[in-house]
Amino acid sequence: MNILPDTPSTSPPEPGFSAPDPTGSTDAHGAGVVKPRDAPGAMELPWTRILIVGAICFAVWLLLDAPSLQKSAQASPLGSRRTVSLDVVGPVAAVSRGLGLAHVVGWTDDLLGRSVGGGPSLSIATPPIIPVSKGNGKGKGPALAVTIPTTTPTASTAPTPTTLPPLPQHPTAANPLQVVVIGDSIGIDLGPPLTNDLIGTGVVAAILDGKIDTGLSRPDYFDWPAELRADLANHHPQLVVVMMGANDPQSLEVNGTAVAYGTAGWNAAYSARVGAFMDTANAAGAHMLWVGMPPMAGSQLDGEMNVVNGLVQSQAATRPAGVTYLSSRNVLGDGQGNYTAYLTNGSGSEVNIRTPDGIHLTLGGGEVLSQAVMNSIRGTLKIALPG
Amino acid sequence: MLFPTIDFAIFFAVVFTVNWLLNPYSVPWKIFMVAASYFFYAWADWRFMFLLAASTVIAYTGGGILDRLEGQAKRLALWVTLALLLGLLAWFKYYVFFTVNADNLFHFMGFDRPLPLLNVSLPIAISFFTFMAISYVVDVYRGTLKTARPMDLAVYLSFFPHLVAGPIVRGTELLPQIRRRRDPAHINYTEAIWLIGAGLAKKVVLSSYLATYVVDPVFASPRQHSGLEVIFAVWGYAVQIYADFSGYTDIAIGVALLLGFRFPQNFNRPYTAVSLQDFWRRWHMTLSNWLRDYLYIPLGGNRGSERKISVNILITMLLGGLWHGAAWTFIGWGLFHGVGQIVGRQRRLWRKAHGLPLEPGGRVRIAVAQFVTFQLVCIGWLLFRAPSFSNAWSMVGRLFHGWGSSPLVTPLAVLAVAIGIATQFMPDGWVDRIRRAFADRRLAVQGAILGVVLLAITTLGPQGVAPFIYYRF
Repeated sequence: MNILPDTPSTSPPEPGFSAPDPTGSTDAHGAGVVKPRDAPGAMELPWTRILIVGAICFAVWLLLDAPSLQKSAQASPLGSRRTVSLDVVGPVAAVSRGLGLAHVVGWTDDLLGRSVGGGPSLSIATPPIIPVSKGNGKGKGPALAVTIPTTTPTASTAPTPTTLPPLPQHPTAANPLQVVVIGDSIGIDLGPPLTNDLIGTGVVAAILDGKIDTGLSRPDYFDWPAELRADLANHHPQLVVVMMGANDPQSLEVNGTAVAYGTAGWNAAYSARVGAFMDTANAAGAHMLWVGMPPMAGSQLDGEMNVVNGLVQSQAATRPAGVTYLSSRNVLGDGQGNYTAYLTNGSGSEVNIRTPDGIHLTLGGGEVLSQAVMNSIRGTLKIALPG
Repeated sequence: MLFPTIDFAIFFAVVFTVNWLLNPYSVPWKIFMVAASYFFYAWADWRFMFLLAASTVIAYTGGGILDRLEGQAKRLALWVTLALLLGLLAWFKYYVFFTVNADNLFHFMGFDRPLPLLNVSLPIAISFFTFMAISYVVDVYRGTLKTARPMDLAVYLSFFPHLVAGPIVRGTELLPQIRRRRDPAHINYTEAIWLIGAGLAKKVVLSSYLATYVVDPVFASPRQHSGLEVIFAVWGYAVQIYADFSGYTDIAIGVALLLGFRFPQNFNRPYTAVSLQDFWRRWHMTLSNWLRDYLYIPLGGNRGSERKISVNILITMLLGGLWHGAAWTFIGWGLFHGVGQIVGRQRRLWRKAHGLPLEPGGRVRIAVAQFVTFQLVCIGWLLFRAPSFSNAWSMVGRLFHGWGSSPLVTPLAVLAVAIGIATQFMPDGWVDRIRRAFADRRLAVQGAILGVVLLAITTLGPQGVAPFIYYRF
């Protein structure tokens, strides 16, 4: 290879690589690189005046948007950053409300049909189920003779007594098994391969409802119990697959008091939330398959996930009729259940299963775990799925 | 650190002020700017600062040695320097991909797996600052650029507006600006705020909306979606990636302008292109120019037989695809565009030989050429966005037997796609008139208008801002 360039004048222009840009001027220093042109009517200012304009802009925006910022700050993780943010934004938000300016954002939110203080959270959500084939054509499961509770069940680790309709052992294209997959960002890593595998059987209608940066610890940030109730009401699933918990090792707020992670109080409060979450699904007639968190590369997070998994597993064990727990440590870990970034699949090929952050799953990892979930549905739940 | 965040707003307010206060003092300014840029970069992961520093040291040392050598020794020094720079990129970006595929190939052939499997972190922006460092070293080798002082080079490679997602600024463009003092009394203010405002709107509102409501759900589970939703998801991704990436570079160029620097243009209405060749003259221009000058031309460029030229084009586009990510889908995307370039070239040569016009003439023909080119580009985006070939194939499959209800194709989604494409055709005069009307207002009014615009952007955007797509490249 000759690293010296062709002389531009002797080398004909190559379409796609070297034609001059029609809107830019050729830089005197660059090798045919263009610069943005000066716009007509461009206004030049000294930097001090720009600073003043910027300050006015920021002040106006802060005054108008302070209530939303306050809400965002309240939803941020507990800690000094949250405290400082609230201290700064709180008084401005009070002034904004006093002047009636908070309505500006409220009107926009009303117009767009969403909760006050900002747009939708970044998420993966799929619309109502599309029928897997010609069948009932509605994409909805059989009507369930249950009433979905509108409030979170009492925070207790004891299961709420309920009579669950049995899972269909032989779903068909005409009467598909209705599945909702929910979870945090790791659940979202599992979701697409799992929903594809489920739908690929031809006898399952599945949807994914995932929200990044969420869990059960911070309902003030994202209310998963409410989201689950909405999913139950909208989709009438017979089976809910859950995978979340990576964001949960943080302080919980119970009756207005912060309960620190790592304490017996936290374990009890978190167990109660997990149990209530399970009961919500069971009360609506849905079985729950809870997939535990995989091993993590970082030892601290890995230890935290062990705690979370243990509590979830305990809650599942008290609800054997309605909840099945599937450990992903054995699926995505090495022979001892420890973290590994690679696995050998059934055909002998190595698969990179974890992203470089040591937390999330690659597509290959999601596919491996999906197969384990499918096997659990077939084996433990005894549902005959083709394939 | 992401541009559309409170963190960056606070950071930039401080940097803007100190930048101009230190402007008369060259050395303190450079020290401050390097410190600020490294702080900006370390916000995500402080360990990667050492990687940026290592690239700077390699480029500086290599450039210095090259400057003193001649002949074969100079050529050898160049290759060693390039090998070190590319070695860092290869290790951090491609090791996992290469190892898994090589090991599986060896396994398939019945041999033991020779390479250890490691979990290597991918530092953000490594592709960008590596390419900039290479351009500096090669330009010094070619004699088109004098060696830079260490602090100048450190500012050049780390300068935070371009650091994480470009544009890829050449040493010949930026180093002279770093060496001279900026004029604190004449900052191109209206152009800067237009770029920043437009960039924020594209990223925070348009790109985020399409990603959240159309693109991500469909690509996540194609089998759940209809053919019409698949088409809209691919069109939506075309708009999303343009809004995302051009939004980032708009903000980067605007931020640099406020600091007294001028960056090269990176996009020029790419979806108005009338051919794939035309598209690459308009899309990520600093990358395509870089590939031309530092890869295609050294490979031989347009010299030699048509077969040799085609091979040069194919290699360039394949490596261009691989630059975007260590995955077969990116290689597939590069191959698709490489073949497109070759076919386009042959078509042009044929038309030239037959005395036919090279570009379409007349409004209808231009419109047809633009439509066809956009669809071809979208086929490429399907490969680019899909997490795997099987996912892309599932998407295609829905076009043939997935025509049912399409709840994701809402009027708002259609409007978002339409707006994203329509902005490409907006006459320059409209933008100029808006700028002029804004500039005629008093400063206090301008500030208030900007505050309201900022409110509109933050209100219409989703909660939280996803990282820019090109962050990971």
